[in-house]
Amino acid sequence: MANEFGLFVTTDITKCTGCKACELACFQVHNAARNKVGKTVGTITVPVVPKLYVTVIPSASMPVQCKHCENSPCKAVCKQQAIVKMNNQVIVDETKCIGCKDCLVACPFGAVSLLPYYANGQPVLQPGSAEGKVAASKCDLCYTEAEGPACVRVCPNKALSVSDVDAQRKAKNIAAAEALAVVNAGAPERRAI
Amino acid sequence: MTVIAIDQNLCTGCQECVKICPNLAIEGVPHQAQKINEDKCVMCGQCVQKCKSYVSAAEHGLAAYAEARAARGLPEWITEPLFAAHNVTHIEEVKKALADPGVFTMVQSAPAVRAAIAEDFGAPLGDLAAGRLAAALRKLGFDKVFDTNFAADVTIMEEGSELIHRVTNKGVLPMFTSCCPAWVRYLELNYPSLRQHLSTCKSPQQMEGALFKTYGAKILNVPIEKIFSVSVMPCTAKQFECSRPEMVDSGARDVDVVLTTRELVWLIKDAGLDFINLPDEKFDLPMGDYSGAAEIFGVTGGVMEAALRTGYELITGKAIPAVDITAVRGIDGFRTADIAVGDLTIKVGVVTGLKNVKPVMDALAEGKLDLHFVEVMTCPVGCVTGGGQPKLIDESDFEQAYKQRISATYNHDLELPVRKSHENPSVKKLYADYLKKPLGDLSHKLLHTTYCGDKKVAHH
Repeated sequence: MANEFGLFVTTDITKCTGCKACELACFQVHNAARNKVGKTVGTITVPVVPKLYVTVIPSASMPVQCKHCENSPCKAVCKQQAIVKMNNQVIVDETKCIGCKDCLVACPFGAVSLLPYYANGQPVLQPGSAEGKVAASKCDLCYTEAEGPACVRVCPNKALSVSDVDAQRKAKNIAAAEALAVVNAGAPERRAI
Repeated sequence: MTVIAIDQNLCTGCQECVKICPNLAIEGVPHQAQKINEDKCVMCGQCVQKCKSYVSAAEHGLAAYAEARAARGLPEWITEPLFAAHNVTHIEEVKKALADPGVFTMVQSAPAVRAAIAEDFGAPLGDLAAGRLAAALRKLGFDKVFDTNFAADVTIMEEGSELIHRVTNKGVLPMFTSCCPAWVRYLELNYPSLRQHLSTCKSPQQMEGALFKTYGAKILNVPIEKIFSVSVMPCTAKQFECSRPEMVDSGARDVDVVLTTRELVWLIKDAGLDFINLPDEKFDLPMGDYSGAAEIFGVTGGVMEAALRTGYELITGKAIPAVDITAVRGIDGFRTADIAVGDLTIKVGVVTGLKNVKPVMDALAEGKLDLHFVEVMTCPVGCVTGGGQPKLIDESDFEQAYKQRISATYNHDLELPVRKSHENPSVKKLYADYLKKPLGDLSHKLLHTTYCGDKKVAHH
């Protein structure tokens, strides 16, 4: 495992237009097998349920999505153990989710929503009921996809990227050290010694 | 008549559609709902293909989907996502006509429809479905399953003859194709003084429609007032075209209703047909008979190639050495070629993607466009990428879809027994029995037109 911390997707808000191509692609990759979603809109027979949420405010837009918190409050509160950590990423097992909303309360970013859960093109029913169940829906960083997160791949404005903040911090440390080394080497008090 | 609309409750104001609109008809400020300026819209529907702002359970609530579906007049069994930019649907009118035993329904489908329709049933991109399309239309209950491709062959007879006439009689040149209604509208709005460069030929859809209610009525012995004429098009602008006040030369409205490819998919799903596994059937004779030249109308350069295949033989009296005229193929926005036709050199141009036509028209206005014949198509690589085609969820699939829909079209051309419009036996019979000759009196009445050339057409 290369990364120390969980990775997450960040948005360059100077580039995001709020078009929702990310939401649609997210839905597509997560429902290709489970709900036979193909390449075109006509193959979609279930509600579009994304795992990230494009949010438009007057000054900007961006998809709000899971930060894969290290001390995951959603995971901590989930009494069903439906939220687990795999390779430092926070992942929901929708089949275990009972829709209690504790994770929605716990998440400070609103990155988790509770949405209808479908399989084989049909609503999955609540136990002992004819009503369809809902499940927590949040970014899983497309951990099953070889090409990485679909949202990053499809963004028409290349506004999204995967952030490895630990690697970025170390790179900044090195850059800072190199810059300081040059300054220090050239400083008069160093030369005098 | 509104053809394309943007749902003000759904639009996030991302303006991705504004970037691609070929006539700058979408207006608004970022992060607020956009509006279509109907005085400028050419109705190509590329915004419909682009828009990703869907009715979302997460954002708009669980009840919002059913409300939006009802507001658009869509039936309750439709479950696919609905987007802010959309075309106004006409499926209920078609269902009503099909259910009425007193109505005689005739349908035509454009070549590009068969290159993409199967995608919406989960087939691979560009899975050619000509035989299944004919079968599905027949099972839906259309009395006659004809084909726009027949009229595409007729278009070549008329337009090829018109070009030869213009070249040999010092007529207005270059002549531009008039098959694409969004292009015709764009010309009327932006370059009205240049409209004499437009071929007087109607589009294949309108030729087929005019023939349905005249030649068809005659040979099938059906009164014109009983005929309901439907076309299935990859195009959103075709509904506008068939509503133009001049498109009534048969004595009634030549095409009553246009369905986009996607709307036909809805009708097929409504009828519960297993489209992917339908056994192939043939289109009905005579107005469903077609050549490979007609089939390639669906891709950029195809009308030009079809015209050259026939023009060469009409002018020289000899068989064309190579039926595939690869010099006019490709996907570049503007390409030109010099084609040797006997002792003549025909200078041709092909424009695809309407944004690419502006420099060409500006050159023409300055007298700097040295060409005889120019094909213009509005959509990215021709009608196979029309605004009414199956909509791709992921834009990174565009390139693959374009490539595969194009190759499906050329492959179908290759497999057809007749590959030149003037060799289509049913077209020969149409001229022998009915029209007499290209550019003849009856052709002029039914198959040619003068476009209005002003903005009034948008508001009739």
